[in-house]
Amino acid sequence: MNLTPLNIVFWGVAGLFGVGLYGLLITRNLIKVVMVLQILVKAVVLALVLGGKISGNLGLGQSIAATVIVVDTIVAVVGLALAVQVRRRFGTLDVSEIDTLRG
Amino acid sequence: MAGWLVVLVIGIPWLGALLVWLAADARPRLQHFIAVLFSVAAGIVSLVLFSYASSQAVLLVSFAPTFGDLTFVPDGLGVSLTAISAVIGSLAVLFSVNYMHAEKQLGRYYFLVLFFIGAMNGLVLSGNFLFIFFFWEITALCSYALISFHNDDPKAVAGGMKALIITQVGGVGLLTGALIAFVNTGSLQVSALFSQAAEIPLNVLSVIAFSFLIAAAAKSAQFPFHTWLPDAMEAPTPVSALIHAATMVNAGVYLLARFYPAFAPVPGWKTAVMLVGLISALTAALMACTTTDLKRTLAYSTVSQLGYMVYAIGVGSVTAAQFHLLSHSIFKALLFLSAGAIIHSIGTRDMLRMGGLSAKMPFIRNTFIVGALALMGLPILNGFWSKELILEMGFEHSPLWAYALMLLGAGLTAFYTFRMAWLVFFGEQRAQHEVHAAGVAMKISLGLLSFGAFTSWLVFGGLNNLLSRTLPFHKLEQESTLDVVQALLSAPTTWLALLTIFLGCGVFWFVRKKSTLAYKPSLVLDSSFGLESVNGWIVRSVQAFSKVFQITQTGQLNWNIFGIVGALLGILLVLWWGAS
Repeated sequence: MNLTPLNIVFWGVAGLFGVGLYGLLITRNLIKVVMVLQILVKAVVLALVLGGKISGNLGLGQSIAATVIVVDTIVAVVGLALAVQVRRRFGTLDVSEIDTLRG
Repeated sequence: MAGWLVVLVIGIPWLGALLVWLAADARPRLQHFIAVLFSVAAGIVSLVLFSYASSQAVLLVSFAPTFGDLTFVPDGLGVSLTAISAVIGSLAVLFSVNYMHAEKQLGRYYFLVLFFIGAMNGLVLSGNFLFIFFFWEITALCSYALISFHNDDPKAVAGGMKALIITQVGGVGLLTGALIAFVNTGSLQVSALFSQAAEIPLNVLSVIAFSFLIAAAAKSAQFPFHTWLPDAMEAPTPVSALIHAATMVNAGVYLLARFYPAFAPVPGWKTAVMLVGLISALTAALMACTTTDLKRTLAYSTVSQLGYMVYAIGVGSVTAAQFHLLSHSIFKALLFLSAGAIIHSIGTRDMLRMGGLSAKMPFIRNTFIVGALALMGLPILNGFWSKELILEMGFEHSPLWAYALMLLGAGLTAFYTFRMAWLVFFGEQRAQHEVHAAGVAMKISLGLLSFGAFTSWLVFGGLNNLLSRTLPFHKLEQESTLDVVQALLSAPTTWLALLTIFLGCGVFWFVRKKSTLAYKPSLVLDSSFGLESVNGWIVRSVQAFSKVFQITQTGQLNWNIFGIVGALLGILLVLWWGAS
């Protein structure tokens, strides 16, 4: 395998995304879910920059990446606030015990 | 200008719905005020829309280049039905101010009612299949949620579910027909189906036509889907008056009237429509003769009267169907709201526990009897003119046996209407009730509807002129009110029908004792001639089917994410497969 900088970044994206996805599937603690989501989004930010580089629109990729970083911060804040509320209402942060949507 | 009016007539009720919801249940007076204000405003706008009626699209919505512009067309059919739904809607909302005064969760109630009024206006003004389908489904959703409004009552929840599932059968029929029409004409516009109907192969056109007939039968509670309407009577009475008598159940008749010119050449379609109307009119009238629940009697009578309209379309008279639709909306809303006032005063729907209420509520008695006489079809009330017109058209354009059966239906209508009025107001008092007087808002809306029941037939000429002017494909004749009055008064069918009506009343007079003393419910009639089990089977199998998929709803976050990722992979696979 030829390790050009682009290749390295690509595998970085794939690796981060895989870690994030795996984490989302197995994590039970709501705080950890928020953290894992952050990892997932970091993979996406990296992918945007990579996409910009490959398509020749580096500026566009970077500006979208910057936007995603801002939005993602808000997502994290709201997610943590929700976690606090969940803890208050249900008395637990374990997502497997919060199943009021069960059919 | 007309485009803005269309936006307003849909948007005002929807804005009102949002505001009622925002006003919150802690402020019921504000909620009543907002609901009345916005529904009356929508009613006024719908009347202004009459002067802008045309067959041209007035509002274009750019959606996607593939589908072309989506339009709203305020033609005669659309404008008249908008006026019916918005004006009767505002009267029902006004009535609710008194009827619902002690209810909790008014926000949910008014939100759904106003959401429904806006969607109904949208449905009849839409000029394309996509919007018709959207609004059609919104009305079904509101109907379901309002039937189950008292969601701690298992009967109300079951009735709502049944209505939702049965009307969805119609929704699937509409979707099937619309998709086949889209594939064959290449356009979502309703007008494209009219102009290209001759080029569509006849067998394909007949599939569209019969799909739409299924849609109409399910929505308008016609044979064989009529059993959801009586069960829908668990809804608050103003909702029964508005949705299950005056507006939503008209959507099926509207659909048949709208597409009549495209489907009329399909062999057997007109006969099928006529038969559906005939069977519904007759069987529902029979069932109404034995029911003891006041609202169920009215529900069966609604099915029966809708059957008259469907029959009128089947014999080719769209004008007569629309005229009866207008009359029926007014007098049936009047009957339902009067019944609501009675139920609100004495707290029961069982007619065997009423009787002798005449002296205690004279105002309600008067309005109820005005509605009952219009339902029987006695001059000079609006029901007389429109029903006679349908019977006259049936005599001219359908086989004699069909006309005779419809005439029999008119006699049965007189029988059960007289029975209903007798059981409620006259005879001896069979149970003691604490009667409290009707409120001012109730009296205003009942008074206005009574006035409408006396005078609405005068607009026949205007309605006919409007329809013939703005529906180029229907090719309707122009007639003035005076022409119709002269034609009906000189026709032998009118006098024959009047004789049958008096005969029906007379027969009840002789058996009136039996209707209370020796009353035994009839098993055959109670099960809707066995169709109750067919409809019940549809409902049960849909529920069993959804039970199977219940296991996918674990409520677990990890499983849900697994589902999302799986679906994403599936979409990517399909895209990759399509690209290669």
